[in-house]
Amino acid sequence: METLAQTSWDVIIAGTDLAQSLLALALSRSGKKILHLDQNQYYGGSEAAFSLDEAQEWMNSVNQRRGRSPFEDVEILSYQHSQDPAQLASDPPKLAASRAYTLSLSPYFLYTRSALISALLSSKVYRQLEFMAMGSWWIYTPDSLASDGDDPVATRAFHRVPGNREDVFADKHISMKSKRALMRFLRHISKSEDEAPEEAAAEDLSVPFGQYLSSNFSVPEDLHDPLISLSLSQLSRQETTASYAVPRVKRHLASIGSLGPGFGGVVSKYGCGSEILQVACRASAVGGGVYALDTGVQKITDETSEDEYPVEVHLSNGEKLRSKFVVGSAWTLSADTPELFGSKVARSVSVVSSDFASLFPVTVEGAPVPASALLMFPGDKLNSPQSPPVYLQIHSSDTGDCPRQQSIIYGGVSVPGPEGQALLESAVNKLIQAEGPKAIILWSLRYTQLGRLSNDGTPLDIAFEDDLLDTVKESWLKVAGDVDPNDFMIFDDREGTSDE
Amino acid sequence: MSESASGNAPKPSSSVKLVLLGEAAVGKSSLVLRFVNDDFQENKEPTIGAAFLTQKCSLPTRTIKFEIWDTAGQERFASLAPMYYRNAQAALVVYDVTKPSSLTKAKHWVAELQRQASPGIVIALVGNKLDLTNDGGDASSASPSAREPESAEGDEEGAGQEEGDAQDATPGDARKVSTREASTYAEEESLLFFETSAKTGTNVVDVFTAIANAIPESSLKTGKGPAAGQTGLGGRAADESRVNLGDRNTATAKEGCAC
Repeated sequence: METLAQTSWDVIIAGTDLAQSLLALALSRSGKKILHLDQNQYYGGSEAAFSLDEAQEWMNSVNQRRGRSPFEDVEILSYQHSQDPAQLASDPPKLAASRAYTLSLSPYFLYTRSALISALLSSKVYRQLEFMAMGSWWIYTPDSLASDGDDPVATRAFHRVPGNREDVFADKHISMKSKRALMRFLRHISKSEDEAPEEAAAEDLSVPFGQYLSSNFSVPEDLHDPLISLSLSQLSRQETTASYAVPRVKRHLASIGSLGPGFGGVVSKYGCGSEILQVACRASAVGGGVYALDTGVQKITDETSEDEYPVEVHLSNGEKLRSKFVVGSAWTLSADTPELFGSKVARSVSVVSSDFASLFPVTVEGAPVPASALLMFPGDKLNSPQSPPVYLQIHSSDTGDCPRQQSIIYGGVSVPGPEGQALLESAVNKLIQAEGPKAIILWSLRYTQLGRLSNDGTPLDIAFEDDLLDTVKESWLKVAGDVDPNDFMIFDDREGTSDE
Repeated sequence: MSESASGNAPKPSSSVKLVLLGEAAVGKSSLVLRFVNDDFQENKEPTIGAAFLTQKCSLPTRTIKFEIWDTAGQERFASLAPMYYRNAQAALVVYDVTKPSSLTKAKHWVAELQRQASPGIVIALVGNKLDLTNDGGDASSASPSAREPESAEGDEEGAGQEEGDAQDATPGDARKVSTREASTYAEEESLLFFETSAKTGTNVVDVFTAIANAIPESSLKTGKGPAAGQTGLGGRAADESRVNLGDRNTATAKEGCAC
């Protein structure tokens, strides 16, 4: 039987979350002896993706081992729908086979100018990934529901957030005066700091974003939420400062068009982050990295610092290994429960029997059909004015996450516990109601996640945040040793792998 | 395999994702190397680097482009990722005819494929290293032991048994897995079955041709990209919605409202 202890390792990487997997990718041409472990039987750790059955197993394991993963209070609901005779006559929607679903714990999308996209391109692993376009942003606007006599489709309860200048002009819901104010703001933030340095310096960005919009540009209040949604802020209105929101709105607008017309973000097919990290691990294996699942790090001792391989690592399977470096996260390296992380968010994943086609319009000629849409529910529209907004990210079956005629709704709100779950449930139900009777929830998963927003902890963000790559690069520099920092993630195609 | 140049009209071409499975050192990569480059390396190092190769296979009515995925060693500690199996339309499960434990392992992989892969996947069971047995070795001799399951029936099977047993006893013959044992198993599980030698080339092209023929027309998509499994029918064409990251450098299209 082959054992891992036969080798002295240059680096042992514990955990296959995205950060660790990207490190493995970065080291994949270094010639280093890499051992990459995961204590679970699946890839991805807190960013994994599951079939329905695997989600069930994951729930059991998380709930039994409380404090050992950044998750709490996982719950799965299957729905028994009272069948009304009209629906029985036709074909009632039902769940497909377990493996027809890829339910992701990492449904974040990538802005097209994200450093991760650059890294996936320059490392050539993008060839094994398929990306779909993000579509529109929508704001829940219940007042439009009553006045609208149209057929039930979700869009009757939502307003589309204008994504560019043409959109602003074409928007029927915005008055001319508001349009002018909005354009003033958009023109202002599209100026680079070089163009107007004094202006940039004079601005007070510590105020809430809403106040900044009102006092500097007279942007009316009803446009604050749409603009906040472009920043993806998961904080309440009061807590969302201009210094937080402005650069992120800029990022949003600057991303549109850079990979093709009409979209500014992409989602990776089959589970987003989960798929990206698997591709990264595969690239590392191709380079000679050794992979072992169901094998965790139990204990690390670092006593013989003279030794070329100073770290002794005890694995969960009883083996003792030696390595130059060990890299992991608080959840994969420490036997104790890590210090409490900054944020807790409530999250949910729902399988719904509708394709929500009205939420996926192609808004620019020549643009790809979007596979994902983002819905924002301001707290006050959910009768909870003080709370942060709820975001729902809908994945169509084009993402490969679910069968045709169904969708996955990934929901999140940075309010923990039952209160957060109640907000999520309320938002999902409002979407379902707006879509009409053909939309029913077939299955749902609810959980609380611990982590950090916009930091290097477990990502809770709606879009991938580039600072994760900075931490990966730091580790890469340490482990790889004598390398040119500019060579980070820059590889040639391997023989036989490029398109001919 | 030669590209047939018959006729001027190009035949329809489809991509097929083929995954390679089997115990270490049974010759998985060597089989592919023989198929793709018509080459063989003695004492080949364990696979590093080659993880994705393509080769066209020309059939009378269409051209199949195999996208061959090697395991890159990830099978060693049971660490293959779901993306490895995802959308695979064909699998080559390889064992070594001189090593009985490798057939046991092959059976494990077949079970794993039936659990993990797309329901319609075409699986070929391949006993490699035929050159180490008395009936292998020579590429020019048609191997009687290589047959597809449907032909392995009746008297022939009995003959195979006898043959196999006899071979086991022959001095200098390293065969430890009889043709009959493996072909019976292949038949039970509805697998294609071949015995090959990557070293001499015996039956190697035949394996891939048989797989190409066994892939149902309905599961083939023309043009680029793997077929989308259960989401294949009645939907929007994939090309309408896919984003090509390779385009980024050329796409200078309209910027958003930052204009």
